[in-house]
Amino acid sequence: MTSKAPVISCKGLTYIYPGTTEPALNGIDLEVERGEIVLITGPTGAGKTTLCSTLNGLVPHFYGGRLEGEVRVLGQDVRDTSAGYLSTKVGMLFQDPSSQLISATVEDEVAFGPENLGVTVEEITQRTNSVLNYMELSGLKERPPFALSGGQQQAVGLASVIAMKPEILVLDEPTSNLDPIGTINIFALLRKISREEENTIIIVEHKLQELVDIADRIVMVEGGKIRLEGPPREILAEDAVLLYERGLQPPQVSLLAHKLKAAGIPIEKVPLTVSESLEILSKPLRALKERASELRQKESEAQQIKSQPIIEVENVSFQYPGGVVAVRDVTTEFYKEDFVGIIGQNGSGKTTLVKLLNGLLKPTRGVVKVFGLNSRESPIHDLIKYVGYVFQDPDSQLFSKTVYQELSFGLKNLRVPKDQWESRINSVAKMLLIDSLLKEAPYSLSRGDRQRVAIASVLVMEPQVVVVDEPTTGQDPRKRREIMELMKVLHDKYGKTIIFITHDMDLVAEYAKRCIVMKDGGIVLDGAPHEVFLHYDELEKTHLKPPMITLLFKELGTRYNLRKDILTVDEALDYLKSKLVS
Amino acid sequence: MAFEYIQGQSLMHKLDPRTKVLFFMLVTVLIMVVYDPIIMLGLLGVIVLMYRLSGIPLSKLWGITKALLPVFIMFLVLNYFVIPPRGAIVYFYLLPGIAPVTIETTLIGITSALRFVLFIWLSRLLTFTTSISEILIAMVKMKSPPEIATSLGIAFSSVPLMINQFSTVIQAQKSRGSQIEVRNPIKKGISFIPVVVPGIYLTILRGMNVARTVEARAFTYNPKKRTFRKMIQFGHKDYAFLTISGLFTAVVVAIRILYGWFDYTFILRDVLRFM
Repeated sequence: MTSKAPVISCKGLTYIYPGTTEPALNGIDLEVERGEIVLITGPTGAGKTTLCSTLNGLVPHFYGGRLEGEVRVLGQDVRDTSAGYLSTKVGMLFQDPSSQLISATVEDEVAFGPENLGVTVEEITQRTNSVLNYMELSGLKERPPFALSGGQQQAVGLASVIAMKPEILVLDEPTSNLDPIGTINIFALLRKISREEENTIIIVEHKLQELVDIADRIVMVEGGKIRLEGPPREILAEDAVLLYERGLQPPQVSLLAHKLKAAGIPIEKVPLTVSESLEILSKPLRALKERASELRQKESEAQQIKSQPIIEVENVSFQYPGGVVAVRDVTTEFYKEDFVGIIGQNGSGKTTLVKLLNGLLKPTRGVVKVFGLNSRESPIHDLIKYVGYVFQDPDSQLFSKTVYQELSFGLKNLRVPKDQWESRINSVAKMLLIDSLLKEAPYSLSRGDRQRVAIASVLVMEPQVVVVDEPTTGQDPRKRREIMELMKVLHDKYGKTIIFITHDMDLVAEYAKRCIVMKDGGIVLDGAPHEVFLHYDELEKTHLKPPMITLLFKELGTRYNLRKDILTVDEALDYLKSKLVS
Repeated sequence: MAFEYIQGQSLMHKLDPRTKVLFFMLVTVLIMVVYDPIIMLGLLGVIVLMYRLSGIPLSKLWGITKALLPVFIMFLVLNYFVIPPRGAIVYFYLLPGIAPVTIETTLIGITSALRFVLFIWLSRLLTFTTSISEILIAMVKMKSPPEIATSLGIAFSSVPLMINQFSTVIQAQKSRGSQIEVRNPIKKGISFIPVVVPGIYLTILRGMNVARTVEARAFTYNPKKRTFRKMIQFGHKDYAFLTISGLFTAVVVAIRILYGWFDYTFILRDVLRFM
């Protein structure tokens, strides 16, 4: 180690954004040593991103506002150092991948930072090639970054930061758009960089379980203050439940251990990984081994009696004008009772498939029938009365002066008589808990409320089927659950058919009644999550992984003749309780 | 798109962007001294040949020309109002007492309209064969501040992204029953509001994000010392190309000044004599 002085030091750091009165950061004291990997976590709006922006000088130099206290990065006071200079020492990856891609090709993108640093051409070429190779992006060199999938864009963003060889890497949710296997690869890369180059790495993440053995320290921020701080093992052993309640994602096995303990089952130590959990659970479970073999699987939900299909997809292929075949010979049916989660690697055709369901795209081959209407012959105008489509980003559709007007847009377009508007809008607003916001301007609302308005604006048209495309990307686990709870209400109480796309396996495990796995434009698995998540090998081939708890029961099931199809912590808790207490 | 680049390996593609700018200036001088419509047609033929040699499909050329037709006619008509009456025989007046139509004014009108077409054809030929990054590097070489060149580059590479975002907005509104493809132009205008408002919002957001990103990637650190990976260099091809086209222009200009050739009736004067 070159010096003992901390590379980052914050003392009484308080920051207020211009035009606001509430501090975004409120008295933060933090020291980070060279070579440390620090995981910063906390609910949405806790101040994590603001804290990151202080480290490379964007706060206060770019955003303005009032900074109190002291922040020193590599010994320099951030307030007296230009953001331009700090950016040569502190590489920052922002949250939204597409927002930070600025060049015409992937290669140019990665070279942009080193070019600004005035590095020689040979060195730039060498750095660009090696980082692209390592991240398996070499094949995409000449491609325009905007045309890549979200996950690839995120990887390119990270590559462009790493190519600058900064001493400190600050990464704001670097894996939010990646599939499970992609996430693991990125974290492994970060560990390698920190070991080889002695770089300091600050990572903002909700995914705690993947980082348990990588981070040296967890810092949990809430309301602009540091709530918890310490080594991951200590924090998770003591506070897994607290973290969960604050809307974070502690390892499922830790959470299970806490809950078993609370239920009176003796657990010696809180485990953080599947193998630790196996060891710890072996004691109470050993007694069970002699018992009779368990019925392996829960009764399949897929076997419930189903009515006539409402959407029929027959041998459908779709090819984009550029020549990319996004959906290949798909045949499936959707039923009124469906609550379907569609999962699959980036670029596997999920979004294209759902866009075929309401006529936004027309199949190049095959037939899509929506409530008996052939989507190729019926105008989209007629199809959306049956299938509502909610886009991921509410900002790509809100435009009205008030929420009420926003909600009336669809009704006007469908020529619904005016005397019905008010009752329809009011009832949907109540359903989505935005009835107090009807007179507000959509753009002045929080992101969560804007999303509700966007969903409501589709629901007023009273479609039977609600399609939501990645409603949870870029949100913390609690917000994700809120949206899924909403979908559940729409399904259970109002009888809507729900089709959602997500990267979050835990959400599918918890909410979906049916799960479709896509790969290379085709459907590879389709069934109840309890069945689908047991196909460990097939899932891995599509870059997916079942929830951690399911992986634990894969092992437990074999060793102790237990059920393997356990998908959620609560399910595991109830099951183990019933086994162990009796 | 006004800046469409078509990849290729032709001479036009390989020339230094600065050569192309100089060539453009030479041709401008050349067509300013030529008034004869027949020679102008010949020059247009040369441009068509250059399109062929550069591997640009002629359908592209036709697309540009179609759009130019109304302007072509406008040039022709305006001429009668602007140019002082020449020639002996006035066939008729466009408006009572003004804008006399004679053989001479008609020929001048045709030439200036053709000149305009040639101008557009040539500039599009140059943009078809020059990538944005080449233009930007040329700007830096020609001593424009590197910040400006890079910012322009970022703006251009944002175009496809913005197109993507706009098409998402259109799809989102279509999913809410909006009918964007309507005939009535006023209704059409109104139906675009739901697309334009989120579009403007997303554009502003994009601008802020880009500013933040370039700051975080050390763009403001030391722009003067910035490395440009790709470099452009004047080669033999450039010198040869410029020498030939420069000589040609010089000869034409000299003949024009010394002998007064290439007037608007240069080739047709014998034909006109009998009219």
